[in-house]
Amino acid sequence: MSVSAHPYRRYMREHVRGTTTCPGCGNGIITQAILRAIEELGQDMDDFVFVSGIGCASWIPSPLFAADTLHTTHGRPIAFATGLKLGLPGKNIMVISGDGDLAAIGGNHLIHAARRNIGLTVILVNNGIYGMTGGQTAPTTPRGVTTITSPYGSLEHPFDICAMVAAAGAPYVARWTTYHPRQMTRSITKALQKNGFALVEAISQCPVQFGRAAKLGKAIDMLKYYKSKSVNWKRARDLGEEELRGKIIVGEFVDMEKPELASQWTRLKEELMEG
Amino acid sequence: MAKITLLTDSCKGVEDCGICIFVCPKHVLIESGEMNEAGYLPPTVRDETLCTGCENCMISCPDFAIVVEKDSQEASDTGGGRDG
Amino acid sequence: MGKGKRVLTGTYFEMGNWACAEGAIAAGCEFVAGYPITPASEIINRLAQRLPLTGGTLLQTEDEISAICSAIGASWAGCKALTATSGPGISLMQENIGFAVATETPLVIVDVQRLGPSTGVPSVGLTADIVQVARGSHGDYQIIALCPESPQEMFDLTIRAFNLAERYRVPVFLMADGFIGHMREQIVIPDEDRIEIEHRTIPEPGIAPMERQDFLDVTVAPMPVFGRGLKAHVTSSCHDEHGMRNLSDPEIMHRYISAPIDKILIHRDDIIQIETDCEGVDVVMVSYGTVSRSARAAARLAQADGLKVGTFRMLTCWPFPDKEIRQMSECVDYMLVLENNKGQLYPYIKAEAAHACQVEFLGPQTLGQIHDPHYILSHIKEMIP
Repeated sequence: MSVSAHPYRRYMREHVRGTTTCPGCGNGIITQAILRAIEELGQDMDDFVFVSGIGCASWIPSPLFAADTLHTTHGRPIAFATGLKLGLPGKNIMVISGDGDLAAIGGNHLIHAARRNIGLTVILVNNGIYGMTGGQTAPTTPRGVTTITSPYGSLEHPFDICAMVAAAGAPYVARWTTYHPRQMTRSITKALQKNGFALVEAISQCPVQFGRAAKLGKAIDMLKYYKSKSVNWKRARDLGEEELRGKIIVGEFVDMEKPELASQWTRLKEELMEG
Repeated sequence: MAKITLLTDSCKGVEDCGICIFVCPKHVLIESGEMNEAGYLPPTVRDETLCTGCENCMISCPDFAIVVEKDSQEASDTGGGRDG
Repeated sequence: MGKGKRVLTGTYFEMGNWACAEGAIAAGCEFVAGYPITPASEIINRLAQRLPLTGGTLLQTEDEISAICSAIGASWAGCKALTATSGPGISLMQENIGFAVATETPLVIVDVQRLGPSTGVPSVGLTADIVQVARGSHGDYQIIALCPESPQEMFDLTIRAFNLAERYRVPVFLMADGFIGHMREQIVIPDEDRIEIEHRTIPEPGIAPMERQDFLDVTVAPMPVFGRGLKAHVTSSCHDEHGMRNLSDPEIMHRYISAPIDKILIHRDDIIQIETDCEGVDVVMVSYGTVSRSARAAARLAQADGLKVGTFRMLTCWPFPDKEIRQMSECVDYMLVLENNKGQLYPYIKAEAAHACQVEFLGPQTLGQIHDPHYILSHIKEMIP
């Protein structure tokens, strides 16, 4: 009997027939990496609440996933998710959103959520640009790249989001590209099992906006680019500044344990109400 | 032996995507030249017997348009010419 | 005083902000998010200490935007949620006030108003946010705004705010100000069984999202809270009654805007509270909030001078009591609108009343000081021939 539907359709709302991503967009690869992680952990969509902001990546869970989904205002999914986690400490709260949403307008919420170690799994899809609104410069756009709002080349320096979130104190921080979907799934499973703030930065190709702006070509050209520019951070530690220029450092940067906020609240309230 | 199912109606075409062809180590998939209902040109399987079941294409397809069944019983029964 | 008691029955001499915090706990509040701001900080200070003893959680956020967002998130987790701030914080919250309205999220937002614009004077009460809370977010929408005039009412109306929020799935504002927030007066907290509290209805499990009506029901759809397998889809994009985004059908756009508004307006008789003392008067003073205390004092002075002057106090300013104002205007010759601001509701009141009586506005003689009753009386005497 031939396969008539993808096995992951079971995680999707029946009436949603396909994705709205551009041909070749990396977001679908990340979507599948997430669902593979959920399958590998033997979890159910009802174990989750998905929270997303505004931008192409925010359309990963909404409306596709057959699960409780909160599609918020721009930049704010982590703030909403913090209240959600404190109200539903037993659920997996997964935030899926883009670099503009989470690290520009939402930057303050990102660093404070990492600092207070609220138990969220954040998949930050980094495509280096504001894709949905037509290709404006993002805080992750490399210096010198020409975009529609930096027509003379961007004069600014981009964030290293993983370094920032690690500095804020997150107990799990990892970065992979869409050329590394298996490693991405492994990191997502670890992030989901981490009792604390866990970030997986997913570098994703946007051929239509970033590919054009940075003259990187089509989807497969961008995947080739990721393949050639990626270096595992353990190896990167031994490389000099010149050798690291233009490289994408991938891997798991932080993996530790520290008291998580919602669990601490549960314990505190139990103690107070007993005492 | 592995079995590949291409859900061509979900595919967004080889022209701007074609990631499956790119990630396949055995050149199992090629352009088909045929259009699906949405107007995209999905790939087609050149030779299923070459498929090792690595699942690269399935894992890297952004549109859930490929299903690979490793060690498919039906493929072993119906396919020919490939030992073990 | 019981450590974990929700209702601290008794008589107290405390500030309004204290009463608001106790009202929230008595109403069953389970989640508070807030950022320190004068003159509201005492509310979250008190809740930080009391709320965890009753099983609730308090999150001090990094800013007011995070405060309202996390309160909305907690509401969708099934918690009764509150945030408390002042004018500048409300300004920051505007976008997500719109989110709460558009997603029909029960929420209580306390605004302890202060003198603006901008940083202004943090500890002086003006009530110049009354239009901001109803019109400050973009788009057409309806919220509920309750206006206490005393620390006692900061207790009572906080409970009412939670009940209305749960009943109508809407953000409800408690419009206090720096005067009653910081003023100490007698507060009576009744027995627990004398306090009615309401909870949102939640759909039965087992019905698929596309077979449920989760939104856009003017009789209030059961709220598909998260964590129960209801697979709700909640978005502030234009959506249909299942919460599914639709950006192309004008019929759906029309319902997305109109249904949440109609939901409030068709229940306005249930929501609006007016307190009047104006039987047979020629002049009525229309007011809300703290200035109503001056209005009552002025009425007494006027009556002592043989003038037939009464009071009409709006405990609810939104939805706007248009019908009640119109009826009032048809019973008097003169209507004097008193607001502790430059006349924010005055145009709305005048629009309903001017056909039937002479309507005038009187702001404070000096902004930053509440109207002196003698000042009001002298103006009344100028009004009437």
